[in-house]
Amino acid sequence: MDDRLEKALEFSNYRMTIENQKKNLKIRMETQQTFMYQKGTWRADQKLLSFIHTLMSYDLTKAVLQDSRDNPIEIDNLAEFKELAIGKYNESMNEFLMESNKLAKARNIKKVMDW
Amino acid sequence: MSYNGCCFFAYNNSEIDYVRLSLLAALYVKKHMKNNNTCLITSEGDYGWLESSLGKKLVEKAFDEVVITDVEQAENVRTHYDSPWTTFDSHFQNSNKHLVNEYSPFDKTLLLDIDYIVRNDNLDYLFEQDHIHVGMYNSACDLRGNLPELYEQYLNPVGVPMWWSTVVYFDRSETSDMFFDLWSHTQKEYSFYKFLYSFPGHMYRTDYCVSVASHLMNGMSDGDTIHKIIDGPMQYMDQKDDIVEIKSSNDWIFLANDRNEPWKDIVSRNLHQNLHVMNKRSIDRNFDAMIGAVT
Repeated sequence: MDDRLEKALEFSNYRMTIENQKKNLKIRMETQQTFMYQKGTWRADQKLLSFIHTLMSYDLTKAVLQDSRDNPIEIDNLAEFKELAIGKYNESMNEFLMESNKLAKARNIKKVMDW
Repeated sequence: MSYNGCCFFAYNNSEIDYVRLSLLAALYVKKHMKNNNTCLITSEGDYGWLESSLGKKLVEKAFDEVVITDVEQAENVRTHYDSPWTTFDSHFQNSNKHLVNEYSPFDKTLLLDIDYIVRNDNLDYLFEQDHIHVGMYNSACDLRGNLPELYEQYLNPVGVPMWWSTVVYFDRSETSDMFFDLWSHTQKEYSFYKFLYSFPGHMYRTDYCVSVASHLMNGMSDGDTIHKIIDGPMQYMDQKDDIVEIKSSNDWIFLANDRNEPWKDIVSRNLHQNLHVMNKRSIDRNFDAMIGAVT
């Protein structure tokens, strides 16, 4: 096989592996962000955090929110809810960032796999 | 304080040493979960074989409870893959899985298939939510993050969603009793429900029974009587994939096969996620490394 073609195919395989790893990291991040609170299912993403912040900026301590399964849930303690959601968000994003940085630095498949 | 834990069904056949695999799955529960009492449901002969092959000490370390159920199993032949190039048939014994609520010694039970390997504590939340009576996964993805084949997303191309019996959480409640009654009924009238819901295949599959039971209990719509487990989609290693290396108890490297071009594989590193490891021969090949990571 032509050297250039072989190199291009090798690069293609490397990119495919990296893209797959990125997908796995995203699944892991989304899983870590999902949690249960007051019988509701929530995803601690930027949208939820911003909305809780908005409610609290109007001095609300409790409110009804729509959970990720479209159920209305009365949150008795917005401050506690926010604390929990931020914890989930930070934990997931820190790991996501750390693992993504490792991937970005890996220049071949062996590095990705720590071989 | 309630007595909670995980149950495993394991009946050996001529091809697969299920009790050996159940021991491995139980040790991963012990390592990663807080609600980590374990119960093996098996036959007397298989339990004797487990003790003599792996030693009483290790068996006692893995299992807190053992339930002996020498029931007559219906014939249920299943074709397994070990890579895209090797297949083998085995008699799959799962006809009493719906009786787990009778066998389980726990107040709150997580029924796990022996090839479902717990590598984090994400499922512990189920035991803490008193409003959840029955829970299962109803979405899945493979090691490449792709959805399963259409017939494993829906019971037929225009049918109801598939629920997976790989992981079933249940408590002691009227709702869970109703669920198991429906599962039992669907199993008994399997041919009728196969016709009604148009699900494929000749093999008796518990996934279809729990899907029908969930559909009925959710009011024949996308209701929430049956809880959708929030541990992401259930990630699985296909039977055509293989394990390359066990780096630690939650850092594994796989060969992920391409469904459309089976001569192609990519390496895939999976960190911290719970995994349904469908290629049982690959577990067997890596058994020592997998045990070594949790003992």
